[in-house]
Amino acid sequence: MKLLSIKNESVVYRSKTKNVLAVNNVSFDIDKQDSVGIVGESGSGKSTLALALLKLLPKNADVTGEVLFEDKDLLKLSTDEFNDLRWKEISIVFQKSMNSLSPIHRIGSQMADIYTIHDGSADSDEVKGKIINLLEMVNLPTRVYTMYPHELSGGMMQRVSIALSLMHNPKLIIMDEATTALDVITQGQILNEIAELEKKLKIARIMISHDMSVVANTCRKIAVMYAGYLVEFGLVEDVILNPKHPYTKGLLKSFPPLKGEKGELRSIPGYLPDLSIPHEGCIFKDRCPQKENICLYTAPKTHIVENGRKVMCNFAGGDC
Amino acid sequence: MNKSGNFKMKIKKIISSINNVKQLKAGIILLALIILLAIFAPLIATHDPFELNDDMVSPPSNNYILGTDGLGRDIFSGILYGARTSILIGVVAASISGIMGTLIGGISGFYGGKIDAVLSEVINVFLMMPTFFLILIIVALFGSSMFNVMVVIGITTWTGNARLMRAEALSLKQRTFVKSLETIGESKFKILLKHIIPNGIFPIIANTTMNVSDAILTESALSFLGLGDPNVMSWGQIVYNGKSYLTNGWWISTFSGIAIVLTVLAFYLIGDGMNNILSPKLNSNN
Amino acid sequence: MARYLRKRVLTGILVILVSLIINFSLIHLAPGNPINLLAGKDNPSQEMIDTLTKKYGLDKPIYVQFIHYIKTLLKGDLGYSIMSNEPVGKLILEKVGPTLLLALTSIILALVIGTALGILAARKRGSKFDIVMNGLSYLFDSTPNFWLGLMLILIFASKLKVFPTAGMVDLRTQSEGIAKVIDILWHLVLPLTTVTLIQIPYYFRIARSSVIQTMSEDFITTFRAAGMKENRIFNKYVFKNAILPTVTVFGINLAYVISGVAIIEIVFAWPGMGRLMMTAISKRDYPLLMGIYLLLSVSIAVCMIVVDVVYAIIDPRIRYD
Repeated sequence: MKLLSIKNESVVYRSKTKNVLAVNNVSFDIDKQDSVGIVGESGSGKSTLALALLKLLPKNADVTGEVLFEDKDLLKLSTDEFNDLRWKEISIVFQKSMNSLSPIHRIGSQMADIYTIHDGSADSDEVKGKIINLLEMVNLPTRVYTMYPHELSGGMMQRVSIALSLMHNPKLIIMDEATTALDVITQGQILNEIAELEKKLKIARIMISHDMSVVANTCRKIAVMYAGYLVEFGLVEDVILNPKHPYTKGLLKSFPPLKGEKGELRSIPGYLPDLSIPHEGCIFKDRCPQKENICLYTAPKTHIVENGRKVMCNFAGGDC
Repeated sequence: MNKSGNFKMKIKKIISSINNVKQLKAGIILLALIILLAIFAPLIATHDPFELNDDMVSPPSNNYILGTDGLGRDIFSGILYGARTSILIGVVAASISGIMGTLIGGISGFYGGKIDAVLSEVINVFLMMPTFFLILIIVALFGSSMFNVMVVIGITTWTGNARLMRAEALSLKQRTFVKSLETIGESKFKILLKHIIPNGIFPIIANTTMNVSDAILTESALSFLGLGDPNVMSWGQIVYNGKSYLTNGWWISTFSGIAIVLTVLAFYLIGDGMNNILSPKLNSNN
Repeated sequence: MARYLRKRVLTGILVILVSLIINFSLIHLAPGNPINLLAGKDNPSQEMIDTLTKKYGLDKPIYVQFIHYIKTLLKGDLGYSIMSNEPVGKLILEKVGPTLLLALTSIILALVIGTALGILAARKRGSKFDIVMNGLSYLFDSTPNFWLGLMLILIFASKLKVFPTAGMVDLRTQSEGIAKVIDILWHLVLPLTTVTLIQIPYYFRIARSSVIQTMSEDFITTFRAAGMKENRIFNKYVFKNAILPTVTVFGINLAYVISGVAIIEIVFAWPGMGRLMMTAISKRDYPLLMGIYLLLSVSIAVCMIVVDVVYAIIDPRIRYD
């Protein structure tokens, strides 16, 4: 069952001097209880794509295309209609969890305040009980309710953010680099807890990360973004074991393999292109080890291969 | 690329950032105009600013562009020469405060430990003192020569600069290039002078520009209270002289005051514009 | 919080000590003989020299003199004014009221008006209102306070004749009761306007920039993502976060306000401490001058500590340190 369907979405940041095409014609679907990891280096447009889903981009960002959430086009909803949907249907966990709540208000009162946005009828004891349950659910002591953000560690604040996002049993959670700032052990614990909660609460998840291994371990599908384009999309096992786009291959080589023997780690030479300048041919041509003449002038189409897999490469149709 | 090309690039970059920050552009134009007037004061002035004559408290006219004061001195010429005093006092006082602040703040932040604890406390103490009254008393006791005024303003206002420099030094200290210099055994004081200060000086320059404004205001207030140097022409003194003629000679205090406002404004705009380049996110209007 | 407060109080005590040392050393470092300074003339009589030498222990070593100076101060003795031969403490106390009236009212007005304008400008960032207000804040920041006072006198007292030029009461009418209060308020308008106008840019800028800063914080995005209404986000979260810097500036601003008030008192012949200080300067009444300076330093230090305490109470990040 399709939960969210992104169709030809593009985002342009407009300023006086230039327009930056941050997301370019991206399309993919997310099923109910699905988990999709979006990977790419910083500047690839992965966070912009996610923030656009919740209409959290600054005013100078123009979003075009269609975002169908249970057959409603999110981009066409009014502010009030959209506010109703926020948090109840889609919630988000940010990277900088230390700053995700006001530093001078108590955590409990802020959580309660957010809770009552979508449930104004609940009395305060009821709300408090619900919040305390949430805190317990993410393995936090109940005294966190009366504490301030600066009194908690990064990992604890991340748990608070997760508890906050689960508050109204949303159908979709977006995690924007949600565990990047944590140490490896805390990250592992939190990722396991998330996986369990998801099963229990039947939630779909979009996971944005620059860390291929995090996505590989916790998601069912993977979307690889480069310079605003979705270059490869498919089931994690397909993409990891048999990457088709040269960028995905490069990205996989730059991380240590999960299993098996250790190969050579290599980074991809070159930099992201300037997205404010129109380009010709393939967006990855400057860094691609497999480029040929056709790549310089012909923009690759997105080829759909087996299992709903998509690859945007001139050679994806045939053998590569 | 050769060195001159590099230099040209830098100049181009500076000019483009001046053009981008409106305050900076306005301030620089205004200040350039005021400085030109001050430099060419002897050529532009229509009268000797100290010359007394019989046309006392005469209103602006063809002969006296901005009128005359109670002793018949020409206001326009007085303002032109006063520009020299104000700018000189402002720049020298702010420079003294800039140099003191940079050294004290730099030593405090870079050396750290006990030195920092003591110097920070000194900075905190000075921040809590009513500086203007201190200046007032010192000038009243030690005499109000221009030299005294400049030095006293300079040595009582360095705290802001010291705090800025301390913060810069604290962050620069953590940078790899400073750490590696320390490892190869470069002397601490040399690192401070050759690397910490030059790399952290820009906020101080912006702040010092603003301090020129404050120094000009302080000097004019002292002159207005009758504690100006009687041997030089200053705007505060003209305002002070005009106070008694407010009803029948409004032009005396009015024009000299406008001169102060414009000059102070020019330095503020420049200083603020520089801060704007330093932290564009916070200050820009878009 | 205890640690933070202990530190601030320690600094406050240091400020008072340093003020004492400055006060003491100024008398000794100033050109000329301290006896002449304290006597207020160049050739004091032998009798006067003897009394002063005895009173200030001028024949003793310098540190003994300093301890002696502190001891007399602790007894509440600030010395005697040369002009009137009255105790300095008494002269100052008589003038505290009018100065406080001017200073406190202007601080409250400027705080409220400046902060309100700053918040409005920040919320309409880049609008015409924002640009005009920014321009005005530069302009008033560049205006010497005494000149602004003179211009207000020129326009409203001299030309339009709406408000009185100087003083705190009309000496001709000798009014009593309510009439006197109204008379004082009437005289208060122009000096108060001047001191308020010069402080507004301060609060305006702080409020504007801290609202803008707060609006860009990550937690605002959290509330937006959760669907909270912009007005609620502002009233409940942005406002309290953004007002904190104003509290700190309030303390730092205090010394600046008091010096502004002192000058404005002179412009409007307002019978407060600033005017008393000016008289002390022109009459070379050093004991009086020193007394005023000491009192100002001490009270400003005390006020700043109070402000710090208040800040520590409002901001949980300091409270739990």
